[in-house]
Amino acid sequence: MNTINLEKTGLSEQELFSHVDHSALESEKIVAPRYSYWRSVFRVFFRKKINIFVLALLGLLIAFAYIYPSLVDYDPFANLMDPNSKHLSPAAAMAYFGKDLQWILGAGSSGESTFDAIWNGSRISISLALVCGAINMTVGVIVGSIWGFSKRVDAVMTEVYNIIGNIPQILLISVMAMLFAPTFWTMVFALTVIGWLFIAYFIRTQVVIIRDREYNLASKCLGTSTVKIAMKNILPFMTSVIVTLLATEIPSYISYEVFLSYIGLGMSDMSLGRLIYQAESAMVTPGWEMEFWSPVAIASIITVVLYVVGQNLGDASDPRTHM
Amino acid sequence: MGKYIIKRLLHGMVSIICVVLIVMVLIYTLLDRGKIFSGDPNFNHTASNNRIIYQQSRWEDFGYLDYVPYADYINELALKGEIDEDTRAAAVLIGHTPEKDSETAAKYVAEFTEYYQSRGYKIERLDADAKRNGQLRDGGQPQLYATRDIPLLQRAFTYFTKMFFVDNIHYVPDYVDMGKRGLTFTLYDPVKNPAEETKKVFSPAILGNGTLHKYLLYFDGKFPFIHQNLLTLNLGQSYTVNRGVDVFTTMTESQGAYVLSSVTYPTGVTADRADDLHTASYVQGSLNATASNAQWFTDDYTNVTTHKKGLSRLGYSFVIGIISTIMSYVLGLPIGLAMALRKDKLLDKIGTIYIMFIIAVPSLAYIFLFKALGGKAGLPTLFDMDSSGKLMYVLPVVSLALPAIANLMKWMRRYMIDQMNSDYVKFARSGGLSEGEIFTKHVWKNALIPIVHGIPGSVLGAMTGAIITERVYVVPGAGNLLTQAINRYDNGVIVGVTLFYAVLSVLSIILGDVLMAAVDPRISFTTKDR
Repeated sequence: MNTINLEKTGLSEQELFSHVDHSALESEKIVAPRYSYWRSVFRVFFRKKINIFVLALLGLLIAFAYIYPSLVDYDPFANLMDPNSKHLSPAAAMAYFGKDLQWILGAGSSGESTFDAIWNGSRISISLALVCGAINMTVGVIVGSIWGFSKRVDAVMTEVYNIIGNIPQILLISVMAMLFAPTFWTMVFALTVIGWLFIAYFIRTQVVIIRDREYNLASKCLGTSTVKIAMKNILPFMTSVIVTLLATEIPSYISYEVFLSYIGLGMSDMSLGRLIYQAESAMVTPGWEMEFWSPVAIASIITVVLYVVGQNLGDASDPRTHM
Repeated sequence: MGKYIIKRLLHGMVSIICVVLIVMVLIYTLLDRGKIFSGDPNFNHTASNNRIIYQQSRWEDFGYLDYVPYADYINELALKGEIDEDTRAAAVLIGHTPEKDSETAAKYVAEFTEYYQSRGYKIERLDADAKRNGQLRDGGQPQLYATRDIPLLQRAFTYFTKMFFVDNIHYVPDYVDMGKRGLTFTLYDPVKNPAEETKKVFSPAILGNGTLHKYLLYFDGKFPFIHQNLLTLNLGQSYTVNRGVDVFTTMTESQGAYVLSSVTYPTGVTADRADDLHTASYVQGSLNATASNAQWFTDDYTNVTTHKKGLSRLGYSFVIGIISTIMSYVLGLPIGLAMALRKDKLLDKIGTIYIMFIIAVPSLAYIFLFKALGGKAGLPTLFDMDSSGKLMYVLPVVSLALPAIANLMKWMRRYMIDQMNSDYVKFARSGGLSEGEIFTKHVWKNALIPIVHGIPGSVLGAMTGAIITERVYVVPGAGNLLTQAINRYDNGVIVGVTLFYAVLSVLSIILGDVLMAAVDPRISFTTKDR
């Protein structure tokens, strides 16, 4: 049996137990708790304790990638002329340069700090993933929605997709890399020039699935405009799909950049992929392993954290979980 | 159904042609053609006019343009008998500048210019590059040539028309006297029945004279036992990756160490060599070109390939790919199923973590991780073509199978859960069916339909090879062919490999649809949607 402490309510007994008349007007009103979509998303998201931890980890990674490099003055070739500073294990580097956070992972092939190098690389890799993700998702979602809605556009775009989908992406990227200098923005261009098409195709399939559902048909029969159907009936359904897609897309650009660097098509900036590519021989050399495994580990941690945050945000943004 | 498949195939062909056209535009027009010289030592050794000539002839080799030097034109006239030797010698020498041409030379230069200009060629004349004292610099001889960029449509048209080559008795030019041309059918293959042997070995074969290949149809002990050379596929000639060899041959020829055996040549000479006489093809005038040819062969069909120990590029990729595909289906589907049946239990959680690991971690990272772990466990981490051990296949197969297993687990779990939550399952349950019956008669069959659609794709996809896996374990497979060709500007190979990929991907989608319609009677491509 639950007992309610009436004094806690702060109301007098008279107020609490007075007779309320039936009001025809009041009974027509539907009273529901105030519902805010985004507030509910965050409520559901933070209900899982692991999300707080992962989000904190993500914040730490971003802080290290974006703030740390501007605090230290990182010059990869500062120790180039010092033959004793190359390929040092963490212990040897600390002994040589003094105990400092910078040397916690040892020194690389030109005497640079591996710790600084990986954070610099992370900044480039994360930026690449975010820029490519933003461009591809924006274009892909807009084109994909139109593609899914209009049957005329569908016929044309499906053929375009069949053709462009068959062009090897590596070929396209290497042509871009050879046409322009292999800089950051060339890489962005190469990854986005047809990258949006695959996202658009995915969104198109989702739109086609929802487009012909009965409630949309009913809405159309009642005279709702197409724009309103798109905004009010379909977009809420798509939010979780889009967030989930974003969760897989952003880490995939980091992985893809690593892959491209490994086959020699990467950019000239020292991204994580290029660090891994350059340190490949160090993997099998005793004492040099840190140079190889630390960028691999950081790349993996970044992608996993981004993926987990995105997936859980995708789950939380599905209104069906807000009950 | 047949009509529908033909329509799909035609659609597919159109998109393949479009892909080849786009790729041709990309590599022949957009790319800077000067890049092919960046790693070319010969280019730096030539100077002055010779360097320009060298550039033009290389561009012709790489398929960018048509290049006709003036000397070739004059020599051809002489070959045809239109001019005599003295005129040829006089005409071929051009002056240091156009004004200094001799009278004969000037006349033929004018003819050359007119002939090629009318065909859309650009005529270039390079004046002699002389030092101050009048001596020519190295490679500074005067040059005259005509060039023309090959237009895209012409390039594509010749590419597609030359793709299938049907061997015929008019392959060898008509002016070559080589005895009676024609095809002969024999029950006793001459390779297996050397002249002096009296005991005959029965082995039917079709031989040709005047054809490119000597043996058009024959049997031997190698898979698939019956071989033909009547129809050959030309996907494009390689220039740098595998010089002068067609892409298709590059992919399918065996590699590794020679397999020596006692070979009895047509002249009756027996030697311990690796030559496969069945592959003999025609090379004009080759019989007397080398002493060994004259000793072994009786006609100009002397160009033979060799028996090698290893598999072909395609073979290695396919063996590794198909084993890992089978592994992924055998393991991935049951695990995905078990995860769906025990949703939110321990197995499901472990499986989800594994799937997340594979999706999120860069593939390069976990392949290196497997390599390091496998090396610790004592497995060979490098592929060796000449060793007969099977252990070296383990790590590449596992590296390929693990992500494929994760992918199948993910989808199988998703489809199963979707099916188990659907209304017909609730209805069946309320109708009194046992969970086992619901599973075996309804859910399982429905969940498998989308999986079936992907099977042809994964089987055909096994042939394309895997770029990272093959690189990390040094597998001599087909996966790296495209990246190799791109790095070495081998345009013929790029186009050929792209075409091969496009054909496989178009075929796998069509086959997937057909297989899905065969498994699920509700899916029909012939009747219109309701």
